[in-house]
Amino acid sequence: MTVALIFGLLILLMLTGMPVSIALGLTVLTVLFTITEVPLDAVALKLFTGMEKFEIMAVPFFILAGGFLTHGGVAARMIRFATAMVGHWPGGLGIAAVLACAIFAAVSGSSPATVVAIGSILMPAMVAQGYPPKYGAGVVASAGALGILIPPSIVMVLYSVATSGMSAKGPDGQRVSAASIDDLFMAGVIPGLTLATLLGLVTWYIARKNGYPRAQRASWSEAFAALADSFWGLALIAVVMGGIYGGLVTPTEAAAVSAVYAFGVAMFIYRDIGWKDVPGVLIDSANMSAMLLYIITNAMLFSFLLTHEQIPQSIADWIVAQGFNWISFLIVVNIVLLIAGTFMEPASITLILAPILFPVAAKLGIDPVHFGIIMVVNMEIGMITPPVGLNLYVASGIAKLGLTEMSKAVTPWLLTMLGFLVLVTYWPSLSLWLPRTLGLM
Amino acid sequence: MSTEQNGPTRFRLLDRLEETIIGTLIAAATLIIFVSVLHRYGLSSLGQLVGWSKAQGYIGLSDAARWLFSILNAIRLTWAQELCIYLFVWMAKFGAAYGVRTGIHVGVDILINQLPDGLRHKTIVFGLLCGAFFTAFVGWLGARLVVHLAHYGQTSAVLEAPMWLVYLCLPLGSFLMCFRFLQVAWHFHKTGELPHYNAAHVSGIDTPANGGAR
Repeated sequence: MTVALIFGLLILLMLTGMPVSIALGLTVLTVLFTITEVPLDAVALKLFTGMEKFEIMAVPFFILAGGFLTHGGVAARMIRFATAMVGHWPGGLGIAAVLACAIFAAVSGSSPATVVAIGSILMPAMVAQGYPPKYGAGVVASAGALGILIPPSIVMVLYSVATSGMSAKGPDGQRVSAASIDDLFMAGVIPGLTLATLLGLVTWYIARKNGYPRAQRASWSEAFAALADSFWGLALIAVVMGGIYGGLVTPTEAAAVSAVYAFGVAMFIYRDIGWKDVPGVLIDSANMSAMLLYIITNAMLFSFLLTHEQIPQSIADWIVAQGFNWISFLIVVNIVLLIAGTFMEPASITLILAPILFPVAAKLGIDPVHFGIIMVVNMEIGMITPPVGLNLYVASGIAKLGLTEMSKAVTPWLLTMLGFLVLVTYWPSLSLWLPRTLGLM
Repeated sequence: MSTEQNGPTRFRLLDRLEETIIGTLIAAATLIIFVSVLHRYGLSSLGQLVGWSKAQGYIGLSDAARWLFSILNAIRLTWAQELCIYLFVWMAKFGAAYGVRTGIHVGVDILINQLPDGLRHKTIVFGLLCGAFFTAFVGWLGARLVVHLAHYGQTSAVLEAPMWLVYLCLPLGSFLMCFRFLQVAWHFHKTGELPHYNAAHVSGIDTPANGGAR
């Protein structure tokens, strides 16, 4: 009853179009003054101290790092590198788009920005070489979503933060601790590369079937020059991963170092930005970070309320009592997440649903890290499904295609991603092998 | 910058102040953590250098490294994490207010965009007023907390900063956010325009689609 009331109110408030953070906060306040007996001061304290964890601070740092490198000049370098590597294959520019999107999205941390940066350079170039506009738009919109699976990923940080400190119990009643940021980043590597490869394969297959043009093979010197030029941007991933797994820094520190590194590269090596651009990047990153931190604060308040009412636990008990096992539960999870993904953005979904679903997953014996990767892949698919797939809007703006045409254009890649989701869901080792082999978990 | 300033411009000083605060805070927090990482890494490498040069018999180098080590070691940066968190708490509160002005706090607008104009207008104003109400309430809670903390003189764990000062950003930021909601609601009521944040802006790209997408 309480469950229905809380979620009914939340959904109702959200449908009025108010900010998700405000809808969460108002739901908590309403429930507080009507149903429960949580003292107001406990809530106030939660509201004010919920953010005071050093792990959360990785979010603004990664956003700032991405802010410095979200620049057309960086995109052009990645594209040049990708074209030199794979441009001579059938559908060369298409496969290059997948590669360039994967790199740029990982570095910039923003899917829609990736679609714009890579798309506005590559999509006209592809049309000029005789590719149909729909093909280029479909490739870029889909591959632009790759970023949140390839580390560093802000959505993974949010998943870790949202579930940390929850008391979840495994199938035998043992305590299950939440996934750490380190584990999630490492777990994302192989699925990220696999998905990029699969998207590339589809791109190649369509191109070969239709006889799309290929570029000339780049000379060794050209390929090397392109690699050298894009190296500094690519190295951001190495700085983060090397720092964390070399045991030198915590994920948050790695994020701060990567922000300074990105500033150095953009300012002194690439010279894409000058001192006059720095305040703009800072303010813009602060704006984006503060928005996410505001959702985090209110989502934590919401999850505090749920935990206080023991709702995640009772949902878990109910689901187990219904005879769900991990296989059937994950079908339901994927459907719920895919639906949520069609009309909300990844950060809100992760922050709201992860604390609810995580205890159930733990109870059914699903690894928290594996579960996190499943959530992230769902979020990626949400970026390219209508009606609210942000990548679709952005790509349709560049390609001058209607939204319906655009939705059709991404179909081959969307189906690939759905197939990949099944693979990730039911093959835990795909995600867990690397972190386990490296002795992280 | 990817924000379109189409709101009222009567509070230019407040706007500037808001932007300066959040930009400075994010830069300061980044530098502090970066320096503390360098500091820790510098200490451990110097320590290794002392041991190595001693074993090799380079007395001069060993002494120089030890001297540098003692200087670096005298600088304590244990407060870096705590300060970083508090800087970000301040940034988050004022940034959230700034975000209302730039329209970055998005919601689920799929349903209301299907509504007839009059009803859509009313629903949006309702949503904005809900935002104003919530932030005013939180601001009031924050003010209560600050008064309470000032009364008991609590200080933070490492920096020993007075907690009421640390949490002063709660009422300040929340009331500012409330003001921004009211400002946006008034502007929308008058002109029918909402601030629109373009998440897909990329600088350094010259295309009509950039900035106009969505």
